[in-house]
Amino acid sequence: MAKRSGSSFGSFNKTQDFSTNKVLPIRTEFSQGSVPDSIYSANRESAWSRWRRGFEIYANSLYDEAYSYAFDYAIPLPPGVVLPPGARGPRIPGICQGFPTKNKELGMQWAGVRIGGSLRFDNLRGAGGVAAAIKSVAEDENFWYVSLEGGWSATNPLPPPLFIPPVIVFGQVIVPKQYPINGEILEDRVVEIGGSPITAASIDPDTQKRFGYIQAVLVETDEVNGILKLQKLGSVEATPDGVFQTPAREDPHVGRFFITGTRYCCSCQDFSRRDYYYMSQLGTTNKKAFPRTSVATLRPGRFEIMTGTEGDPNEVNNNAMTSAKLDRQMEIRSPSAKYNIPPTITPNSSTVRGTTRDNPGVFRSFGGRYLRNNPLPSLEGAVAEGPPLYRDYKTVKNEDGSYTITELTDFWSPLLDEMRYCKHIYAMKFAEKVFPPEPSDLPVAMGSIADWERDLVNKTNQENKSAVYELSVRGLSTMDVPPYNCQSPMMMPMFQKLFNIPSTFVLMNGFTMYDKNGKEYKPSEGERPET
Amino acid sequence: MAEFGEIVDGTFVLSPAQVESRKYGFSDIKVSGIPTIYHAGDVVNLPYTTGETSTIEAIGLAWSAFSSGVGPG
Repeated sequence: MAKRSGSSFGSFNKTQDFSTNKVLPIRTEFSQGSVPDSIYSANRESAWSRWRRGFEIYANSLYDEAYSYAFDYAIPLPPGVVLPPGARGPRIPGICQGFPTKNKELGMQWAGVRIGGSLRFDNLRGAGGVAAAIKSVAEDENFWYVSLEGGWSATNPLPPPLFIPPVIVFGQVIVPKQYPINGEILEDRVVEIGGSPITAASIDPDTQKRFGYIQAVLVETDEVNGILKLQKLGSVEATPDGVFQTPAREDPHVGRFFITGTRYCCSCQDFSRRDYYYMSQLGTTNKKAFPRTSVATLRPGRFEIMTGTEGDPNEVNNNAMTSAKLDRQMEIRSPSAKYNIPPTITPNSSTVRGTTRDNPGVFRSFGGRYLRNNPLPSLEGAVAEGPPLYRDYKTVKNEDGSYTITELTDFWSPLLDEMRYCKHIYAMKFAEKVFPPEPSDLPVAMGSIADWERDLVNKTNQENKSAVYELSVRGLSTMDVPPYNCQSPMMMPMFQKLFNIPSTFVLMNGFTMYDKNGKEYKPSEGERPET
Repeated sequence: MAEFGEIVDGTFVLSPAQVESRKYGFSDIKVSGIPTIYHAGDVVNLPYTTGETSTIEAIGLAWSAFSSGVGPG
């Protein structure tokens, strides 16, 4: 395949020659969409490269958890909702895990984890107060159709957050219906209402065998009939033999309740698909557009800014950190342009007529997502790391034959089992002791992989040492630290995705942190960790 | 039965030696104390009772409110 060298435009990238002396940072997107790219180059864009680097990061630095910031996030309630005295408030347990890096001037990439079991279906009630247990399961080749107890109907649809009804004014749909939980990993691990989630080792006292459970991704919700559509592809089963297998051979168990699985997000450039510019190298005007990327690689989308200072709630404030007593708002800007997309971006990122397109120079993409979506013929149920498919918008055909974009689907969603991880999330998966499957896009024709790995090990050691040194001698005073950075341009979208709540509900005073000895402190109340 | 908020399933286990020798990568800087209370892969027990607002209900309330243009109270 002829390639034009020396250009950085589109898919005409210059082929990267492989050299064992160059273990370079991943700056580009996943594979360029062409098989030859994977053959001719060391393919820094491959998922395998991220997987291997993730293991190295885990092995090199994560074992001691030096930069873990555990927290409980208290979800703020809307006006009028009051907790009874003594009631335990809703909370999301999680961790911010820092990865020292040389590629960011503040010295740290922050990844987030929402702990499994945060959301439980035994707290959802249908008609007559019936809890939403698994009533029955039907299946076809690719999906399970799980019917929930609760007598669901058009007048009694599944409750939020499984289904958010549309907002209709004078017969016109102002905000379309939403399904915020679609994309979550569900696990049938609660056997009785209020019971502890079972583990892979839990034994059923009636049968003296292990319970076993399955994990699968929720892909669709039928609110009227109370049916959840779970994807078999990528599902995992904890078997009665106490081992994990994929895909799951068993159906979700009737009578149990779902919980949500562990959820990951990362604020690194690779996962968020943003470019990073050193703030110190940007002019004052450009700082408001941080992070940014080149115009040439932009695709339709939007951009976000943070607003709110002590004196002016509307002033742009993209600082990495602010006072724990100041709350900023994330604004999604869809500037006016000649493109015919409408003025409203709804919470689930679908749009109605009239808005516009991306802001050149800010985002590479409107939350594009690369899926592992090509079946691997040689291994039933497995999926190859193939070329990406772009599915980030839907259109309708107009009467005059033209097309109007009706929905920009924010595929930068937490559907992580369907999503290619960054190396930091791979590192956390290794730490979780869940050995993530080795991606099949192993770079070929790259010489000795042993040499490459040896250099990777050495380079990771050296860079980690160097990054930690840099951080300790000059960066600790400027390093962004959770939760003070939770409303920065890089972190707010991550927290919103991680918690799966609207960004306006990510507030400073919701964070209760835990110090190195497990003692609570609330930064918004001026409390600090023990030293 | 695990208590409310307890971790019921976790795979992240540090050896006493690792806890003892916690440090920042390969630097000479040491840190004392026990590591974080939560780890990647943990599963928490959060059983809310009738009358309480559970996490899943609160997330539902947040999305519903936001859909109607209402922020946190």
